[in-house]
Amino acid sequence: MPPAPQAHSSADLVEVNGLVKRYDGVAALDGVDLHIRAGEIVGLLGRNGAGKTTLLECVLGLRTPDAGTVRIQKTDANRGEAVRVGAQLQTAGLQDHLTPREALMLFAGFYEQPAKPDALLRRFGLEEKANAKFATLSTGQKQRLFLALALVNRPQVLVLDEPTAGLDPVSRRDLHTLILEARAEGCAVLLSTHYGEEAETLCDRVAILDQGRILKMDTPSALRGPVGTVVTIASAPAPAVEIFQGLPEVAGVEPQPGGCVVRTSDPVPVLAAVTRWAEARGAQVTDVRVRPRSLEDIVVELTGRPWETGTVEGV
Amino acid sequence: MRGLWQHFLLSLRLNARNRHALAYGYLMPVFFLFAFASVFAADTPPLRGQMGQLLVITILGGACFGLPTTLVSERERGVWRRYRLLPIPVSRLVVSALLARLVIVVSAAALQIVLARLVYGTPWPEHGWLLAVGVLASMIAFLGLGLLVAALANDVPSVQGLGQAIFLPMILIGGVGVPLAALPVWAQRVAGFMPGRYAVEWLQAAWNPEFSAKQMMFDGVALVAIGVAAGIAGIKLFRWEPAARRPRGATKWALGSLAVWLAVGGLAWQAGRLRAVLPEAAAWETIAREQIERITYEDLPGDNEVVTRLAPPLEGSLDDPRAVAFAKGLQTWQPGRLANAGQSIRNLVALAAIADLCQDRCEAEMARLVFDRLRTHFDHEDLTRGLAWVILAPDEGTVVRQAPELGLSRHPPERAIRQRSILYAQKFLGRIEKKIDEAMPALGRTDRP
Repeated sequence: MPPAPQAHSSADLVEVNGLVKRYDGVAALDGVDLHIRAGEIVGLLGRNGAGKTTLLECVLGLRTPDAGTVRIQKTDANRGEAVRVGAQLQTAGLQDHLTPREALMLFAGFYEQPAKPDALLRRFGLEEKANAKFATLSTGQKQRLFLALALVNRPQVLVLDEPTAGLDPVSRRDLHTLILEARAEGCAVLLSTHYGEEAETLCDRVAILDQGRILKMDTPSALRGPVGTVVTIASAPAPAVEIFQGLPEVAGVEPQPGGCVVRTSDPVPVLAAVTRWAEARGAQVTDVRVRPRSLEDIVVELTGRPWETGTVEGV
Repeated sequence: MRGLWQHFLLSLRLNARNRHALAYGYLMPVFFLFAFASVFAADTPPLRGQMGQLLVITILGGACFGLPTTLVSERERGVWRRYRLLPIPVSRLVVSALLARLVIVVSAAALQIVLARLVYGTPWPEHGWLLAVGVLASMIAFLGLGLLVAALANDVPSVQGLGQAIFLPMILIGGVGVPLAALPVWAQRVAGFMPGRYAVEWLQAAWNPEFSAKQMMFDGVALVAIGVAAGIAGIKLFRWEPAARRPRGATKWALGSLAVWLAVGGLAWQAGRLRAVLPEAAAWETIAREQIERITYEDLPGDNEVVTRLAPPLEGSLDDPRAVAFAKGLQTWQPGRLANAGQSIRNLVALAAIADLCQDRCEAEMARLVFDRLRTHFDHEDLTRGLAWVILAPDEGTVVRQAPELGLSRHPPERAIRQRSILYAQKFLGRIEKKIDEAMPALGRTDRP
């Protein structure tokens, strides 16, 4: 699903400026700036320990930053003033014996003009499970309930911490639809994700976060740039880097054991070069894969480290 | 407000849906009711003397186990993390949880009272308002402690550990499970430093025809002070994060709230409220005239012998300043002026025994001064019964082991004091009953013709 166009409103609903947060002297956030407009989905993409959850918690006022400010609709979130913010947190839960209907009624009771619990149950496909105990719900149903709870106060800002973590592809797609609906209603959405594909599908802009800093922030296509294809070649012997020299489309070659990875704006000349080289050398090409360049690739390129070298979860 | 009401009702509903909570909150109190009824089966009317203990066990269990188990389990599941995002302070939700717990515990206590009435014919409380206020004061004390346990416990198993650390001492030596009168004196005194004793005292008063307003006032203030101190520490240390570490200074806050227990116990001690409680069956008032008349006075040591010396009636002023100081101190000596005349008499007789055992140079004069004090301070009926009680039930009541304020600083063994007290009580009673002629004092075994 392509990202929706940028919202026309020029007003930023969320303004994060120079945010710093340290735990035991170690910076989990190190000068983060972030602005989100109404009707825009901004994604935070990064490894475990990059600072995504800490940033979301500072935005929600759950953590007090050591420096910098968080403003939501020109209201200081750190002062705890009432603002229409909905949130779904990674480690938040509900009582085992609570039903979805009761949970929605409970949370709705704390707001002036809440959404109707029955309408939310319908919208999130939880009608049949309205009176089932929370403990008996599937992971997908629980996540849908948490998203419904996040929307119970008709929020203008929605903060979601890895909303599809642990879900099967069908449930993930369902949840994507619901998040896009929230955006269509004018919500400014800030979400963290571990999946580059999800960021690409949902987000108008993606911030690549690493070690508490935003390394780059732009639309997914701008982040990928013109060099949008990755060709992975496996052969014996491995192709020499020189065979791609002189090809203007190639942006970079990364030798690997038993092959190489080529970043290019056009895969056809690369494949032709490999074919010529294999015929000339009598080399055996065992595998050739062509795929679009992912946001994970961008993270790897920007940080210079492989994708899965997670540190502490949830920091 | 609507949300808080919803939260309060939901807390009650979730408790009713949890089988473990139901078993612990309602079955256990009923089990204790039946257990107490079988242990104290001989009492009439049944369970009337144990209702205070039974209710405190229920309140203690619900507040110190039920509340923190729920709070910590919800914290571990991330429920309180989610609550933190609501547009109200978390403390209001804590209050809502406390009120729900109050309703749960009160309903379990009501079940005990009704079942005791229906099954055993236990009378209804004499003073309903006293019961209501007592339950409220006890709930304040124990909910405060429950909140502190919830704040200190890292997980649900830790709640069990911390809860038991409060529950078991109060059950065993705090006058809650084992009646105070059945405890040794040291345990009775220790119980004065625990809230359980005051809660039982108050709630039991609701079943007694008479009660002391002054005593109730002290009990109430003690319970509220203990509860508020623990509650403040509990709120200060409250953790909403599932994996949050125990806040810094947690030990100081916990010790600070325990200091209130010490303060309450110290005040009670100073005010003489920690006097020993006597078992009902051992009350000196029950000594009958026939029992007194059966006491014999043969074989007593002579008044001038090494053991149990007793000076002849004192005429004129005392010569020895030590005896003068003893005589003066005796007039205001607190253990000899207790509301319980029998225990006061036992304490005074013990002074003579201690002086004798320590071979004080004024032992004979001191014994005479004690005798004079007994005769002038107590009426004849009380004095004869009190002395007979010392003779017939030497192991009952408490015994003074030293009185440095009267110059008796050494402390002989309790057993020896009790044995020597029998002999002095016989000498005193024999004179009062005119079985021993003051002019011809008891002859020593060696003096006998």
